[in-house]
Amino acid sequence: MTEKNFLTKVINETALSRRSFLKWSAALGGTAALAGGMNFGLKTVEAAAETAATQDNWVTVACWHNCGGRCLIKANVIDGVVTRVKTDDTHPDSPDFPVQRACVRGRSQRMQIFGADRLKYPMKRKNWTPGGGKKELRGKDEWVRISWDEALDIVSSELKNVKEKYGNEAILSPGTGSWLLNAYGGCWETWGMVSIGAWPQPVAHMTGRNAVYTFFGEGGASDRMELRNSKLIVLWGANPAWSSAGNPAYNYQQAKKAGAKIICVDPILSATNVALADEWIPVRPSTDTALLLGMAYYMITNNLQDQEFLDKFTVGFDSGHMPEGADPKENFKDYVLGISDGIAKTPEWASQICGTNPEVIRSFAQEIATTKPMAMLSSFAPARTYIGEQFCQAFLTVGWMTGNVGIPGGMVAENGHATAGNQGNPLVSAGATGITAPPNPISAGTMAAFFGMTPDMGTLGIVWDEAWSAVVNGEFTEAFNKKHKVDIHLIWCIGEAAALNQHPNVNEGIEAFRKVDFVVTSSHFLTTNAKYSDVVLPATTQWEREGALLTGNREMMIYGQKAIEPLFEAKDDVTSNVSTTTGWIEMEIGKRLGLDVDTLVPLSLKQQVFNQLAGSAVIKPDGSGYEPLLTITADDISAMGVDGKPQTGRITYQEFKEKGIYQVPRTPGDNLGFLAYKAFRADPVANPLSTPSGKLQIHSANLVKSIKMYGWTEVTPIPTYRPPLQGYEATFENFDTRVKGKFPLQIWTPHYMRRSHSVYDNVTWLREAFPQELWINPIDAEARGIKNGDTVLVTSPHGKVIRHAKVTPGIVVGAVALGEGAWADRDDSTGIDMAGATNSLSGTTPTGQGVQPWNTNIGQVEKYTGDPLEADYKWPQRIPIKEA
Amino acid sequence: MANQKAFYFDASSCIGCKACQNACKDKYDLPLGIRWRRVFEYGGGNWLFMDGVETPNNVFKYYVSTACQHCANPVCRDVCPAAAITKRADGIVLIDPDKCIGCRYCQWACPYGAPQFNEETKVMTKCTFCADLQDQGLNPACVDACVMRCLEVGDYEELRQKYGSLAAIEPLPTANITKPSLVITPHKHAQPSGQGTGSILSLSEEV
Repeated sequence: MTEKNFLTKVINETALSRRSFLKWSAALGGTAALAGGMNFGLKTVEAAAETAATQDNWVTVACWHNCGGRCLIKANVIDGVVTRVKTDDTHPDSPDFPVQRACVRGRSQRMQIFGADRLKYPMKRKNWTPGGGKKELRGKDEWVRISWDEALDIVSSELKNVKEKYGNEAILSPGTGSWLLNAYGGCWETWGMVSIGAWPQPVAHMTGRNAVYTFFGEGGASDRMELRNSKLIVLWGANPAWSSAGNPAYNYQQAKKAGAKIICVDPILSATNVALADEWIPVRPSTDTALLLGMAYYMITNNLQDQEFLDKFTVGFDSGHMPEGADPKENFKDYVLGISDGIAKTPEWASQICGTNPEVIRSFAQEIATTKPMAMLSSFAPARTYIGEQFCQAFLTVGWMTGNVGIPGGMVAENGHATAGNQGNPLVSAGATGITAPPNPISAGTMAAFFGMTPDMGTLGIVWDEAWSAVVNGEFTEAFNKKHKVDIHLIWCIGEAAALNQHPNVNEGIEAFRKVDFVVTSSHFLTTNAKYSDVVLPATTQWEREGALLTGNREMMIYGQKAIEPLFEAKDDVTSNVSTTTGWIEMEIGKRLGLDVDTLVPLSLKQQVFNQLAGSAVIKPDGSGYEPLLTITADDISAMGVDGKPQTGRITYQEFKEKGIYQVPRTPGDNLGFLAYKAFRADPVANPLSTPSGKLQIHSANLVKSIKMYGWTEVTPIPTYRPPLQGYEATFENFDTRVKGKFPLQIWTPHYMRRSHSVYDNVTWLREAFPQELWINPIDAEARGIKNGDTVLVTSPHGKVIRHAKVTPGIVVGAVALGEGAWADRDDSTGIDMAGATNSLSGTTPTGQGVQPWNTNIGQVEKYTGDPLEADYKWPQRIPIKEA
Repeated sequence: MANQKAFYFDASSCIGCKACQNACKDKYDLPLGIRWRRVFEYGGGNWLFMDGVETPNNVFKYYVSTACQHCANPVCRDVCPAAAITKRADGIVLIDPDKCIGCRYCQWACPYGAPQFNEETKVMTKCTFCADLQDQGLNPACVDACVMRCLEVGDYEELRQKYGSLAAIEPLPTANITKPSLVITPHKHAQPSGQGTGSILSLSEEV
């Protein structure tokens, strides 16, 4: 029996006591009988109460995923095994000072760390030979267990061979890059806007802000306490209940209790909408710009715009207030009224594109124009679209027309992820690790391009959308009218186990993975990226590593600590603190390459964590500056075995370690709030913005220039609507006569509660809770004979998936939605991805400033004629070697 | 009953995130397919072609998190031929796995689907109200997991005084069958049990 063999290995290789083993095995699906039974009822209740006190050993552990939340998880560690988790109970819970409660994903994390599908030892593909070996079998070959020495020897010699034969430009490290490769002469990295969509450049050129602060600090929106001053909150394309789990939805609820009306604009009736909103404005994916223009038309023709604000604080709205050097005819008002292009952007015009009822467009416009203060907050999703910059331009402009900038409770901005509904300077933060990345001589990589900096395309790297086509076709876009030739022979995924799944166009990705000479991946599981590799290396999770300081919302910092020893033969691929930092695996490879790895990472992990602890800072109660967070004694330092000096701070290191969190207490009206654009609103002359005019720029010539430099699509200096590639209009064979085409439905890809991107997709408890289902409106379902729960085939111009249909009135007619991040599971014989990865449906369609337009896609849905799909949680786990 | 522990559920704020469901599974290592606490998505309404576009017409959705209601009238107990189900002095209804013969009568009798059969141990299982935690003065795992603070535990009468007497909304059964120890704040679109115009939108594999 496979399961028995696996469990035998668990016992042998991790040297667990029998008692621990029983506890753990109870956690593994299908093995409950071995665990001595699920014995619940009167007797166990009494027994449990008796033993609970003596068996509690709670350790704060990291919940480190890129979900947008950052919450507290404590693990009960008994004999080296985690028996249960709980969340924040470190202080009494209140709306002003809420505990950091973890979401369902964090609550299920024990099933991830101790999953029966954890990779146990290094493996190579059975038919692998030096330089390749039946490369077409990648993804379906058998796996062979190998020793760490053999694995590291293989990886080093393949890397060395490729470098010597083809040079460093033949190496692709998709995603985060690698310190080791940097030190070894560099590699191609991939970059792109990924989460934030088209926001950075419009934000940079229209507001003078750097969009990095949208994620990490003082963005264009204010903090959560300001939301309680809002009379109206518009959440545009935002579903924080799913995409920023933890407290953001709860914070919005406090604004609602304080009297705010909440309106959600979304193609779906989202969970956030259900719990918080008074009204749902349905809109087709990728058409929000048209909706906004229809609203602008209503506002202008009814003279509802805040003209005084526009005249004083913005340029580009009308011909009388243009930025220097701009053509007065190129103003927003004339475009909306149709004076400049002959098309009046009436609610009826908008409605035919965005699908929102024209009466609703009018009443919505009336409401935002006449309710002050109003918070108009967009997520990133409507900008993760083809030529998505047009949405950002239109959103900011229409928001500014209401004058809700820099006033209490008034805000107009993009926000999301960790700063959803709560932007502002971090109130507590970690110190630096003391180590820095060596430069990559070939490409600067993700972060350099991410937040609206001027692109230097020659060194940026390969945009995500073109990562696989660069491998397959040998070139990528370097700039306007400029292609860069490449000849990739090696794909390096140490510390990056999701690139194949999470870059656009999995099908082209599989072709790329099967083309190169060598692919290596480190991972916790046989992810799709690992599955298509030659060598797979088992990595530790953060529960098995030295520790990490984790920040998220501005008010708290978590100290995730090592809870258990590395499972099986897992080793550190990266360190806990910096996701790209070389860990044990790359250090060992570096030694084999003759690199001085001690110079590469000169400090131990312990020392890095200590440096972060010692440098931690917390805001002073009066908000005037920061002071050290921690008091650290000489005894603490010697117990940690690190170099350092004793210091005095707000709380003791011991308290921080025990609680695992420091959270800054908040009360309304304290000195720790954040009001975006406060100084600018108070005096725009004394406090100009970093734009050419010093004002908010509805018209921006620099935006046009900057987007053109990237080399894909272009934008106009003012917000305009142009039909996107694979947008709503593309669902028609003939848009004018409204004859539908081969792909009559829009497809878009919300963040889904089951996962943080692709992480957690394999966790059985989450599969059980959240099926990877296709949302479809009853009108679209009935037209295709589809009933709730039917297995359906979804076809896009780029690929096919099958899934269960969820027939729900909570989605607009004509668009279907599939949550992003499922682990692609393609059947080569049919080309169908059985798991429903959204990137099996997405294509290579880069746009704007390197945006992945995931929410702009089209397709067809039909009843699947093959065997119906089994429920996801009943699928066998990906256990690569069953009889080991 | 003078002394009856009860759940309170705020349907007006639930985001259907299932943190409660999996906090429960984590506490009790529940096997796949067994959910002592589960969350239903209920909704309805339709779309009408108006003003040139498909427009939602009374489209609504809400979530209901539900577990064993530790009923005043526990029909599960009444039908159990093995006398394996008892009600404690504080009203918590428990199954004794050593007495349970796995006949499933309780599963058929309970209108909430609370008792669930464990295929491996061949006995019935259900929500224990985390009696072990409550005996230590702690909250049930689900209550402390709720990110929207929608769940509470307390004395039934006190909860009714605080939140009202509603004990049933769609898709839960009407309260007169078993007298559930449950107090609900309804969602603004909540529909009365037995008179709903919507349907359970969750896929059957989910609940």
